[in-house]
Amino acid sequence: MSHSFAQVWRKEVLLAYALLLPSAVFLAVFTYWPILRSFWFSLHDVMLGDSRIFWLGAENYLRLLDDGLFWKVLGNTAFYTLTTIPLSITVALLLAVALDSKLRGMSIYRSAFFYPVMIPSVAAGMVWVFLYAPGYGPINSALEFLGLPRLDWLYDSAWALPAIVLMSIWKYSGYFMLILLAALKLVPSDLYEAARLDGVGPVSRLLHITVPLISPTLYFVIVIGLLHSYQIFDYVYVMTQGGPADSTNVLTFYIYQNGFQYQDIGYASTIANTLLVFVLGLIGLVALTLGRRVHYMGER
Amino acid sequence: MDNAVNMVSATRALPLSSRVARWFSKSWKHFILTPLVLLWLSPMIWIVLTSLKTKVEVFDPDAGILPAVLNFGNYPATLSVAPFGTYLLNSVLVTGSILIAQLVTITLAAYAFARLEFPLKRLLFSLFLLQVMFPIYAIFLTNFVTLREFGLINTLPAMIVPFVASGYGTFMLRQAFRQVPSELSDAARLDGCGHLGILWHVYLPLVQPTLIAFGIISVVTHWNDYMWPLLVTNSDSVRTLPIGLGLLAKSDSGADWTRLMAGTTLVVSPLLLVFVIFQRRFIDSFMHTGVK
Repeated sequence: MSHSFAQVWRKEVLLAYALLLPSAVFLAVFTYWPILRSFWFSLHDVMLGDSRIFWLGAENYLRLLDDGLFWKVLGNTAFYTLTTIPLSITVALLLAVALDSKLRGMSIYRSAFFYPVMIPSVAAGMVWVFLYAPGYGPINSALEFLGLPRLDWLYDSAWALPAIVLMSIWKYSGYFMLILLAALKLVPSDLYEAARLDGVGPVSRLLHITVPLISPTLYFVIVIGLLHSYQIFDYVYVMTQGGPADSTNVLTFYIYQNGFQYQDIGYASTIANTLLVFVLGLIGLVALTLGRRVHYMGER
Repeated sequence: MDNAVNMVSATRALPLSSRVARWFSKSWKHFILTPLVLLWLSPMIWIVLTSLKTKVEVFDPDAGILPAVLNFGNYPATLSVAPFGTYLLNSVLVTGSILIAQLVTITLAAYAFARLEFPLKRLLFSLFLLQVMFPIYAIFLTNFVTLREFGLINTLPAMIVPFVASGYGTFMLRQAFRQVPSELSDAARLDGCGHLGILWHVYLPLVQPTLIAFGIISVVTHWNDYMWPLLVTNSDSVRTLPIGLGLLAKSDSGADWTRLMAGTTLVVSPLLLVFVIFQRRFIDSFMHTGVK
């Protein structure tokens, strides 16, 4: 009896590994091997298309510390992440709260805010280059119409990165809004009713009832936002090529420049490792600060 | 019944001003949302309007927002400068292959994680989940070197293989499999079904909504993907639609917005059309990706 049980168990284990094999092979080759190899490259002098490899030790990392442009790029990346995510989540939350009731035309509104997610990043980037055009772009025409000064947007090193942030809010708020809408549906409406009867205003209802109750989802949206923020590469590549004066150069683009334009795989890998640490660090930070304060309805 | 009738006539009898006030208190949201919606739609409207203008109109400050005459000539002009048919075919092949490969790998792996016991299960599951944190944007460089060594640069498989395994999809499907009551699989086992039979006949039909949701997200992601296809292709025969559009922009260098916006309309419209037709499905898929 126990013998046959062991046999059945062994068969199940074999089956499990066989089922995992296809995924595991591709995960190993295209996710985990590159991370290990990237660390290995960062300790060497490696050129693209050259099979020779020379040991450098920590030299690439020391070079990184001395590289003024790297610190600027890191700052730009932090600026983009730390403005785009809070701003687009705030917009998303306000939209979601506005759409949450049995509003007429709700599905039209929802789709109108969501459709930018369906547009390829290259197309979105290109259209916004046109919209931001200093001479004939409609945004400047609108500013002039409102009596505001015209801006050089993507040609002005002070405005280029904020311009990409604005575009990103347009592109991603709708996605975050949808996820938040799903969470809002689960908030019991009698809570609002009770608060309203107690004379609690709409702003404090939002801050003290809605936000705590949907905090697990907000937390999740922040993590998704962090992962989406990588996509800024596409916009930088299409809209500015990192310029003017490296004011829109970000980590992913700087990796590309070093690896593909200067063919310096060793140094580019060093920056790529920094990017991984940067993103994992941010996610860890979010988990430790917000994750702890998340309010789970029901269990926990 | 009488009361209800009385109430209706009472509402009718209210003075106009308070009826307006009541109507306003019910629909004030529309006054905020409608301008916002127009703002959100304006880039898309701008794309389409520009594609119907003439070159002169784009740069003429007095020309107004609407094209004076609808000029459809930009569309054939765009199609004649780049092989959009080839790009379209490549996009379909790449996106379709990724989807099919992913559905196979995630189904098998999710079943193992949901229903089987084996050593190192937790460690392996964490390794699958962790993939979500390492998207192609962070590891593209070494993947490029690897594919070069495989001799796959500038081929369709180069755009497919890095995405065959999906930690995210495995996670989604495992959650769905765990919702399936175990009585169902026990009954199938008594009928002589093996694990693979149970997976095929019991589990897969029951998790169809999850498969569709994952499929939609996968297709949207890879159909629109820009960076990776850009890096691994260097000839028109393997390029996808977004890469073709990017090239068109480069060659026009901003001078011919009408042709470029016609190209953009062509590239954007297949997915937007499918979205408009299957709106509810799309919205549901993206909506519930966030709810665990």
